[in-house]
Amino acid sequence: MGRLKRTHLVEAVLFLLIVAVFYAFSFEFNQPIEIYRFGATVWPRVVIGLLLIATLGNLWYQYRHGSASQGTIGQSDDEADYSEPGTIPRMIAVLLTPFIFAWLLKPVGIYFSAPFFIAAVIWLFGERRWSAILLITALIYFIFIGLFLVILNAPLPQGNMSPFYDFSAWILTMNAKLQGL
Amino acid sequence: MIDNFLAGSAALFGDPFTIGVFIFGVIGGMLFGAIPGVSMLTLAAILLPFTASLEPAQGVMLFAVIYCTGTYGGAITAILFNIPGAPENAPTAFDGYPMTQNGESGKAVGAAVLCSAIGGVASALIMMAATEPLANWAIRNIGPPEIFALVFFGLAVASSVGARTIWKGWMSVLIGLLIATIGQDPVGGINRYNFGLTDLAAGIAFVPAILGFFAVSEIFVQAEKKASGKYKAPKLSMTFPTWLELWMHKLAVLRSILVGFFCGILPGIGATLAAFMSYGEAVRWSKNREEFGKGKLEGVISAETANNAATGAAMIPLLALGLPGGALTAMMVAVFQMHDLQPGPLVFMLSPDLIWIVFAAMFYANLSILIIGLVETKTILNLLKIPFQFLAPLILMLATVGAYISRGLVLDVMVMFLAGIIGYLLRRSGFSIPGIVLGLILGKIGEQNFAQGMQMVHYDLGAYLSRPICAILIVLGTLTLLSSAYRAFATSQKSV
Repeated sequence: MGRLKRTHLVEAVLFLLIVAVFYAFSFEFNQPIEIYRFGATVWPRVVIGLLLIATLGNLWYQYRHGSASQGTIGQSDDEADYSEPGTIPRMIAVLLTPFIFAWLLKPVGIYFSAPFFIAAVIWLFGERRWSAILLITALIYFIFIGLFLVILNAPLPQGNMSPFYDFSAWILTMNAKLQGL
Repeated sequence: MIDNFLAGSAALFGDPFTIGVFIFGVIGGMLFGAIPGVSMLTLAAILLPFTASLEPAQGVMLFAVIYCTGTYGGAITAILFNIPGAPENAPTAFDGYPMTQNGESGKAVGAAVLCSAIGGVASALIMMAATEPLANWAIRNIGPPEIFALVFFGLAVASSVGARTIWKGWMSVLIGLLIATIGQDPVGGINRYNFGLTDLAAGIAFVPAILGFFAVSEIFVQAEKKASGKYKAPKLSMTFPTWLELWMHKLAVLRSILVGFFCGILPGIGATLAAFMSYGEAVRWSKNREEFGKGKLEGVISAETANNAATGAAMIPLLALGLPGGALTAMMVAVFQMHDLQPGPLVFMLSPDLIWIVFAAMFYANLSILIIGLVETKTILNLLKIPFQFLAPLILMLATVGAYISRGLVLDVMVMFLAGIIGYLLRRSGFSIPGIVLGLILGKIGEQNFAQGMQMVHYDLGAYLSRPICAILIVLGTLTLLSSAYRAFATSQKSV
């Protein structure tokens, strides 16, 4: 196994999977283009081929040197550290919360879901004082409403499910009244 | 030129409403560039419909001013939070963020202010003096093979910076190139990798992907550090760089102006490649290469001078040829079209007033970076005092709006958060996010120009490489790849 760790193998398998999936799907659009000899597949397949070589080279490097840095320039990130108990579940929550928020935007709309999302993120970042969570949530929500709705009139997702849609409509009506429209 | 410039200045400052639009552009661009999570593109996308009610000169001028000041503003978030406001600010973070961690945030932001202003003003002056001859030179000498060669050179530079190993640097760029193949192919319009989703036919939109890879992934990194107890609040410092320190980097500034202007003038290339190439050149010319990436002032100076030098140059292909060099200049084409105008050679003859108001506004916008930047820097640095648990939800909310607003698709918000998760996992494994983003931005441009170039030379690679500029750029790109590989392998042999 040389200096290979399990994370190196997982990384290699994921990249090889990407290579395999993209190569397999390239047959779906493998058709000639009259004005271009190489067609639509050559560029992606060259990229896939190079990625395969780079993935194997990376695996070979990790086999010999482990996770050691190679003296490239401009790198600033250290390695992930999940050794502290509770880090992994908390990180899973941190990664999933924005995704759930994005998924809810269509049915619920941003005006209703935003305060819950803001409060959840503050809590996930370690703030446990409820007064601070409520105060900052309100502040950020008002900054967001003030900037994008009142000042810029930006069209944002309103939701398509009652009563969330009605709530968004009420906010928009209030804004229109505020602006004297 | 001076008469035209004075006439443009008089038109700009002779009408109170135009002055208002100018000031709004300066402050708006700077603010949206400097607020983590949104960018000048967010502001531009929101403002686009409103420009229909402005005079054509006011509308185009507003976008040109936002472009200049927004490019500077993006450096602030790159330096203070490791969140580049725009892709062109990504190389600024390589050294700017380590400087913040070392307690030198004031020095880094001060250098960014000054160098952005110098790069921008120099570029505006060259643009005013030589738009037409430079555009003519570009038409005669720069074709698809040269643009492809420059893309290759830029990707070679990007692959050698920002990742833990050279292999991961190459993998980062290649992943970006692979993501760029999603959507219609640029030659025949055939759908690729849309996996049955019609919204993916247009490809992955840049703005959500960039916000996800840069802003959201940084939030996740900080969340992990908070959870593991390794979070360190950045140190606040109000010390500006001394004149002597800046004077010592005069050659880097000059070189970056040249690199920035050259990249900016090429259609479709823009400021992002300029910043990466300028950073790469700074490393190449330095005697202390190992100091880059650890908080070297020259890294900030090179990237920030070049990306602002590219803003003026990007106006040349836009105004003289009608070819936009990036997302914001593409929106400027839309402003022209809203007013029944078409940017191109005719606009110089039909609307010289508009052109000179825009030129004058860009010159003054770059000057105002210096004045407002130096006055406001200390206020901006106070952003570091806000606890990250309160800043993170604000950034995520702003990023959500930034991702949604350009196309009005919830899918883009999902793409942003997915890019954030992928970006976080890749960053923590030593991959280069700027490399991925540059691959994503340049992928389609590279493919399109490669295809057009091959068609031009009838698929004869010898003819392709017989074009001098193309050959030089390909050789330089290859040398960059070889030298970075040599350096990396030499280092790893030492460590065995």
